[in-house]
Amino acid sequence: MSRMYIDGPEVKITVNDGIFVDLDFYDGRKITMLEPKRLFPISGLTKYITLLDEEGNEAAIIRNVDALLPESRQVILNCLEEYYMIPKIKRLIKRSEKFRIWLWTVETDRGVHTFEIINHIVSIKNLYDGRILIKDANDNRYEIPDFNALDRRSRTLIMPDL
Amino acid sequence: MELDGVLTNMPIPGEILAKAGDLSDGGELSGGNRPLFALVGDLTLKGRYGVSALFVFKDRLTAFDEKHSGGQATVMFCDIAQAKVKRMYGNAVLRIEGKDGKTLDLLRFTYSVADIGDAAALFVNKINEGEPVDQSLEIVKAAYRNMRSFCPKCGRKLKTPDSECLNCEGKSKVIQKFAKYIKPYVKRLILCLLLSVFTTALALVPPYITKVMVDSVIPGADRSMLLTIILLLLSVYVAQFSVSGIRAYLLRVTGDRIVIELKKDVYAKAQFLPMSFYDKTSTGSVINRINGDTANIQSFMLRITQEAVVQAFTLVGVIIIMLAMDWRLTLLSLIPVPLVVICGRYFGKRVAPMYRRLWRRGTSLYSILSDTIPGVRVIKAFTNEKNTINKYERYANDWLEEDKKASVTVSAFPTVITFLITCGSLIIWLVGGGQVIGDLVSGAQSGITTGVLVSFIAYAGMFYAPVNFFANLNDTYQHTLASAEKILDILNAEPEHDFGKGNKPERIKGKIEFKNVSFSFDRSKKVLDDVSFVIEPGDVVGIVGTTGAGKSTVINLIMRYYDDYEGQILVDGADVKDIDMDHFRGHIGYVQQEPMMFRDTIFNNISYGNPDAHVEQILHAADIANAHGFISRLPDAYDTLLGERGVGLSGGEKQRISIARAVLENPAILIFDEATAAVDSETEHLIQEAIERLIRGRTTLMIAHRLSTLRKANKIMVVDKGQIIEFGPPEELIAMQGKYYKLIQIQSMSEKAREMKEEENLEISIT
Ligand SMILES: Nc1ncnc2c1ncn2[C@@H]1O[C@H](COP(=O)(O)OP(=O)(O)O)[C@@H](O)[C@H]1O
Ligand SMILES: [Mg+2]
Repeated sequence: MSRMYIDGPEVKITVNDGIFVDLDFYDGRKITMLEPKRLFPISGLTKYITLLDEEGNEAAIIRNVDALLPESRQVILNCLEEYYMIPKIKRLIKRSEKFRIWLWTVETDRGVHTFEIINHIVSIKNLYDGRILIKDANDNRYEIPDFNALDRRSRTLIMPDL
Repeated sequence: MELDGVLTNMPIPGEILAKAGDLSDGGELSGGNRPLFALVGDLTLKGRYGVSALFVFKDRLTAFDEKHSGGQATVMFCDIAQAKVKRMYGNAVLRIEGKDGKTLDLLRFTYSVADIGDAAALFVNKINEGEPVDQSLEIVKAAYRNMRSFCPKCGRKLKTPDSECLNCEGKSKVIQKFAKYIKPYVKRLILCLLLSVFTTALALVPPYITKVMVDSVIPGADRSMLLTIILLLLSVYVAQFSVSGIRAYLLRVTGDRIVIELKKDVYAKAQFLPMSFYDKTSTGSVINRINGDTANIQSFMLRITQEAVVQAFTLVGVIIIMLAMDWRLTLLSLIPVPLVVICGRYFGKRVAPMYRRLWRRGTSLYSILSDTIPGVRVIKAFTNEKNTINKYERYANDWLEEDKKASVTVSAFPTVITFLITCGSLIIWLVGGGQVIGDLVSGAQSGITTGVLVSFIAYAGMFYAPVNFFANLNDTYQHTLASAEKILDILNAEPEHDFGKGNKPERIKGKIEFKNVSFSFDRSKKVLDDVSFVIEPGDVVGIVGTTGAGKSTVINLIMRYYDDYEGQILVDGADVKDIDMDHFRGHIGYVQQEPMMFRDTIFNNISYGNPDAHVEQILHAADIANAHGFISRLPDAYDTLLGERGVGLSGGEKQRISIARAVLENPAILIFDEATAAVDSETEHLIQEAIERLIRGRTTLMIAHRLSTLRKANKIMVVDKGQIIEFGPPEELIAMQGKYYKLIQIQSMSEKAREMKEEENLEISIT
């Protein structure tokens, strides 16, 4: 079985409906209603994006989003942004801890939100590239893109949990 | 939670009520057609945090979100073809597919409310299928109940609706939890304490005698007095050291007992923790807790109950003696105390998080060990030794790095304290020495003699030890707290529900019924979606479907490995949750694809679940399982000692042993999860034979990839993407020409191809 890879300009990608896209190849082929998903949601945000049809079968893989035509690239990025809700934490407003339940109030790129972390040992992951991934009590995810770029107060608040 | 009689997951935000009109008077939502339930979302349709809400009526949905025109949208049920929740990553939308083919996103929310979103969608679809409102509403109500409820005191969410709130449990409860382990040894500990007080009191004697020596005996050249005093000192030392030896012994034994009790409890608790706990927690971390953290707690408890008291006693004793000898010098030697205390607090605050970080690193390191050492065969097979070593080194370096950081603080602390103490003695030398010299020169009598000075210095040294101890106590306390936290994580974790509680029905006939069961491991994906079926006693059900379809999950739920599903599972008409778990599992024979073997003899491995079984029962079980033949050919036969996880047996042999295990249970329900997936066709035949002998008269669930193994099945269940798409007698399914029919065709084709290949090979090897 051969897999179709999309490398760049050979295809034009347009929005179909919400997070679904259509592919128009320059050789005339057309595939519609595909849903882009990351194959590496944690380690590769713009690499290897799989395109699934409504049955969940893979139609193609985009090797690198940045190599697409600018409009196509934007379409894919918008879809991914819409699908993957991983608010980026900009600032820790409040943090309290009692008996291993953490309550964080944070400012994110999607607004202010308060959530609970039940088991900080498994819920807070320190990645090697400086990112910190957080999973709350309801399996929602959050990300601190660069720990060192946070303000001093937020850093001191988070430090003990890492 | 109900608001004016309307079921809702959260209080409905004022701004939405303002728009919609009050529920109680006047507005759209009150009056004759009130909403049946409400769903308050936490995201806007644009994907930002904010307020939105959905009201579900008997005949329509009304959603409030800034993206809808006019801030609200209403859809009548009769216009809806299908309602569904589209789960994305960390968020989901409630999407309506209209009869006109258009789709409309009504509401967006995070996983926190996605379960209720599912219930709402299900409700709409059920009503549209013509089911009565009341019945469909029950499903919704169950979903609301299932949603983790809130602690009435502090408003935090609870792990399960009726679990205790860890937050409100309070510190005293935590202390109580550990105090329990000390209680049985209180008498012993008090004895130790008395012994310590005695030795401490004796330790206070020698400096005083020094004073007498220096001030009167030596200047007075009193030889006989000298001898008497030395004998006195000798007896004091003998008493002191022999008593403290006995005490040390007692304390150690008591301490070990306490820690063993604690270990036993943590271990026992770890056995009863639900599978979902182990899905998230590495076994390495659990082992680390049982071994290391309990020891930390033990040493802390001893410190608190013993040393703290002794040190306090020393402190008070020394101060009294010092005051009696000379109050001015006493005050002088107290000068560094505030500094010591301030330092202690400062360091304590900084050290606590360091220990926690260190613990995390240590656990990662430990987890690599517990992952890789047992998996050493795989590592070798992939010649992955170097990578494994690198990974270990990286984590080890991480730990080292963290340890280095902590070490700076941790080792600076005692040094600073000791320095301060030493400065204290300098002050005594300076002032006291000055006085003694002054007296010598002027011939005056200030009361400070050389003897007083010397013994004072000795007492001052004894006095700072307890100060140091108390200043350091915080550090130890923090270290222990980090450990206590980890242990409590296990001790406080919800055990599997009602283990050892519930009904123990005499006989389990084996009727299994799923009623609208939905389940997800984490909220990101529904693994089972509204599954309903009935299996009659004695049915042999073949479960088929692609990998990942949810077949094993159905089994996991029947086994009650996971309990937080929606819907109901009934066995013989009774909710499984009402049946004693221990009792229930005892009536199920479960044969897995990779049977778990223990480092023990084959005999003990077979009798694992029934250690009291008679030898001949075991031979019989092995017979039925087609295992007796190969076992008896082994040199040590039933006494063959297996390695870890059954090293020394082939996959098919292990499988037959695990079948023998199941035979011995004499179970009412038998479950095979791809029991023959990993063996060759010859062995498969042997196992198949064993299985067919075993299933007679028992309700059997058999997951199999090779459909040929299901020839005894009188019903087939086809699972696909978390749903049951076909269920019934095989002939009917074949007649239907659905998925099962297709699977059979595909397999018989490849089967034929294989046979042909095998024949070809045979011919080649013959010629
Ligand atoms: N412990 C687990 N945690 C999270 N997801 C799981 C777990 N076990 C299985 N799954 C997921 O649930 C789905 C169904 O798995 P399973 O029932 O084992 O499938 P199968 O039909 O092959 O037996 C799969 O997508 C799998 O990835
Ligand atoms: Mg499986």
